[in-house]
Amino acid sequence: MPEIKVELKKEIDRLLNEDVVDVVIAFKKADAPLRPQPAFFRNVDEAAELEYNGLCQNNLANYLTRYPQDTRIGIVVRGCESRSVNALLVEKQHHSENLYLIGVPCRGIIDIKKIIKQTGEEVTAFAEDEDEVTVRVKGREVKFNRKDILHDSCLRCVHPNPINTDILLGEPLPEGDPTVARQAVESFASLGQEERYAWFRQEAERCIRCYACREACPMCYCTECFVDHATPRWTESDISPAGTQAWHIIRAFHQAGRCTSCGACERACPMDIKMTYLTEKLNEDMLEGYQFEVGMDDTTQPPFASFDLDDKNRFVL
Amino acid sequence: METGPKIALFQCQWCLYSEADQHWVDHELPPSIHLVKLPCTGRINPLHILNAVQGGADGIMISGCQPEKCHFIEGNLSALRQHDEFLNLLEYIGYERDRVRFTWLDLQDRGRIQRDLAAFEADLSQLGKADILVTRGIPSMRGQHA
Amino acid sequence: MYILNKKEYKQIIAKWLDKFDVFAPQKAGEFSQFLPVDADSELDFTEPHNTRYPPKALFLPQSETMMRYNRRLNRSEGGQEEIKPRLIWGIRPCDAKASSLLDTVFYTEDDGDPYWIAKRDASVLVGMGCTEPCQTCFCTTVGGGPFNTDGLDALVTELGDEYYIETLTDKGERLFAELPIASEEQQEQVQTLQSKVKGAMEPVFETDNLKEHLDDIFGSDYWDTIAESCLGCGVCTFLCPTCFCFDIVDEVQRSERVRNWDTCMFRIYSQEASGHNPRPTRKERTRQRIMHKYSYWLDHIGEIGCTGCGRCVRYCPVGLDIRAMLNTANAYESEGIHVG
Repeated sequence: MPEIKVELKKEIDRLLNEDVVDVVIAFKKADAPLRPQPAFFRNVDEAAELEYNGLCQNNLANYLTRYPQDTRIGIVVRGCESRSVNALLVEKQHHSENLYLIGVPCRGIIDIKKIIKQTGEEVTAFAEDEDEVTVRVKGREVKFNRKDILHDSCLRCVHPNPINTDILLGEPLPEGDPTVARQAVESFASLGQEERYAWFRQEAERCIRCYACREACPMCYCTECFVDHATPRWTESDISPAGTQAWHIIRAFHQAGRCTSCGACERACPMDIKMTYLTEKLNEDMLEGYQFEVGMDDTTQPPFASFDLDDKNRFVL
Repeated sequence: METGPKIALFQCQWCLYSEADQHWVDHELPPSIHLVKLPCTGRINPLHILNAVQGGADGIMISGCQPEKCHFIEGNLSALRQHDEFLNLLEYIGYERDRVRFTWLDLQDRGRIQRDLAAFEADLSQLGKADILVTRGIPSMRGQHA
Repeated sequence: MYILNKKEYKQIIAKWLDKFDVFAPQKAGEFSQFLPVDADSELDFTEPHNTRYPPKALFLPQSETMMRYNRRLNRSEGGQEEIKPRLIWGIRPCDAKASSLLDTVFYTEDDGDPYWIAKRDASVLVGMGCTEPCQTCFCTTVGGGPFNTDGLDALVTELGDEYYIETLTDKGERLFAELPIASEEQQEQVQTLQSKVKGAMEPVFETDNLKEHLDDIFGSDYWDTIAESCLGCGVCTFLCPTCFCFDIVDEVQRSERVRNWDTCMFRIYSQEASGHNPRPTRKERTRQRIMHKYSYWLDHIGEIGCTGCGRCVRYCPVGLDIRAMLNTANAYESEGIHVG
């Protein structure tokens, strides 16, 4: 991993020195324990703060929609992030000629909650290699198998290698198995009706409407979200079951054909709520029903953006 | 007096060609059926369906023109995919998909809306009262604790 | 100072349940929350720090029905139910002090908030001192401490197998008066522990002249640096024990007027009916949070509006750390617009 960071620094410095971009979006060193932060480097001195490791848990494509489309942006992208970039380009949220994608094949993002669950919260040091993660807690060292503490979305990842990059740093990794995600959806769907609703209800119940999931998601960039509509009032804004359930159902639904399963939503949630089980179901339906997978190129429209006269033969009951 | 299952009827305003049928919907609908009239079924947003579900509708009927006979040419096609997928999602989290029914009316059909509603009521009585996702009015537990 | 053997807490709670609704941290799923206690409840003090979701919700619920409207009778009714006396066991000093700070907002002489007042009047707060402060705690930096007694009726210090309980008010005294009294030697041991723990918590940023400096750099581009990664979500504000902003909405479909927590981090929070927004970009909004806590609270009541509980540091989705932000702010030199 340190070698990737060296290569990244070199490339970022080059982009800034040669004025290829106005800003580079990457990660920088943590202030809060175990939390490298999104960073926005505009010169080589700032880029000295660069960090890159398995703790970099945010989807950087999220920040693209903040900049005017004529801003020249360099951005470090892993597999899912690059597909989010493509999804944004399909929706015309940026110009591809103003983006410079620095691709890094991804070994998965570490879910710090899984570490903390076992060690408690006083982790003071962190080190990783391809297979193992070592942390220091209250003077003692604890080792983990990387696979045991990856975020759930990364365990189901199909595309660790970024797509359509301008440069790729590091060797491509083997693609993941698409049946893993499909099996997860199928096994949930095979549970009894009461059980599925109980799970959904239990997850939604903890929601505090902080919208961290929405703000962490690259595809949630609406200036006015449906929850902010006051007249007419279709969903409640409080934390009653009706309100929180509607929030989770509709936000997931608005991601159909747009979500790249990066899991940033779950990692952002302060109440540890599961929500990717909803978007993965929608993604599987998009694949099965429309042979559509989001983010594989920057032009194909998602299924809901269009219709086909053949549709009537499928849905007319 | 026993009323039938509560049904939310989303009706496209053009789909009932017969004046008699439209008059029945406007004035003689049983009290257990709540009418929402729309310019086109394409206007329906999943939020409306969810709202009816959360409010306690035992069934939701969407009545519109046949796909290639839409008053607005393509209006009702644009929403079909979304409605279908939305029902997939609701079913995934435990909702009974059969509580939502689409009826595509032909201009020649007379009395079809009454027959469809009656058949729907009978089927809904088998399903029983809705309770999955019926949450309007239930307070947050956090009102009682932190 | 009284002594209670840790294994006997259930007996004392069983006694209290006759008179009080008792709330204490309990495991609900993966982490601890303040939940109603019954005779069988297992309390959870395995987490050395405060609960994730703040106990301010016991006085200012996140969604509170203020009144209901009865359409048939054409009148409003209800909303302010009788509050049974409540005992809150295990609240941390940072959260108790925060509740006292919020009293200056809601529990005021002539225009107090009846919903808040009713709950505060009905509550007894028994605090649990922090024998193992975490790397994200910074109460001592902002005038608090791991055994601080602001806002508490009694303070519990855990030492070995015992809970040592200092009663601070009449309400607190009445709860524990029947317990055995600690010896002088035991009292000294507790005090030594408390000093040691507090002494180990070094201040993490400078608060002398912090307000003046923040006012000085109000107009500077320092704030652009934080705003760039800030997501503008509500995590820091909702989990914060001193944040109190709210929004009142009429839920017309169920005829209720509800008060919900609101956050200055959302764009629509400050948006006016005309469409004008005095905090139009992320910069103004992120700046607002820091200025409110470390400058405007001082203007209003002469105290910093933060009690160092550390939740905003632990749960910020992008790892923003307010301690680092204030250190950077302190070091930032600029000729900005002075707010005076």
